[in-house]
Amino acid sequence: MADTDQVMEPSIDNPFISSPALHPRPTLQNVVSTVNFGCTLDLKAIVRHARNTEYNPKRFAAAMMRIREPKTTALIFSSGKIVCTGAKTEKQSLTAARKYARIIQKLGFDITFNDFKIQNIVASCDVGCPLSLVRMSTFHGEFLVYEPELFPGLIYRMKKPKVAILVFPSGKIVIAGAQKTDEIFEAFKNIYPVLMSFRKTK
Amino acid sequence: MATFELYRKSTIGMCLTETLDEMVSNGTLSPELAIQVLVQFDKSMTEGLESQVKSKVSIQGHLHTYRFCDNVWTFILHNASFKNEDSQETVGRVKIVACDSKLLSQ
Repeated sequence: MADTDQVMEPSIDNPFISSPALHPRPTLQNVVSTVNFGCTLDLKAIVRHARNTEYNPKRFAAAMMRIREPKTTALIFSSGKIVCTGAKTEKQSLTAARKYARIIQKLGFDITFNDFKIQNIVASCDVGCPLSLVRMSTFHGEFLVYEPELFPGLIYRMKKPKVAILVFPSGKIVIAGAQKTDEIFEAFKNIYPVLMSFRKTK
Repeated sequence: MATFELYRKSTIGMCLTETLDEMVSNGTLSPELAIQVLVQFDKSMTEGLESQVKSKVSIQGHLHTYRFCDNVWTFILHNASFKNEDSQETVGRVKIVACDSKLLSQ
């Protein structure tokens, strides 16, 4: 049973480390997905007739459209492919992509919803205590890059699942590069004991 | 030199266009001259707003719609408040059309 009066010692036996129910939980911040509408799109026509759209071909070859629910932004290319960013969950990203498809369809284009794929999921979390990145970098050298003069966070590239974890001295972390939400939680489950063993004990 | 024709949609611009159309249709003015007048109107409006208008207004409201096409921004604001040094006015719905003045000198 977890003894809440117990002083937290940096050991694997600590129930706060070994029982996942007591871990902090990463919060999803961004989900990026792509989908192919299967036909060439006339971006000039789209920006003229759809609302909340920008198109500056001199600056970027795609039109940028935003919808309020789910709050997302889409980059629409003339090839018919779109990138949907800003959603908070995989399901929201799919809903948003479908909404963009419906908007373009209503403008008269022959849309098919092909190859929807979640490309990137980003999450953040707070382990709750400051961490010693210097100590961490001397122990786990193979997977990590820590160059404080270049970037204040330590970059841990986990092989399985293939994600990148940015660890900051405050104890806040960012997990990015996941293709599924489960990968985020799996990565966190793997990294949490490692992080806790490098708590700043001053 | 190209001009921004957006000021022709203002009340004064519409009145000018109407008057010129009347004059052209009853023969007092040639169509080419009417176009020249409108182009001069565009230039004078731009120059006047640039050099003779000093007041600054801050507009704040809920952005309902935006669009950026052909280097022209169109905004539709809801419940916008136009704030001046001495006065403030709230408007339920306002459409703002804006062109990049740097494009005039190109």
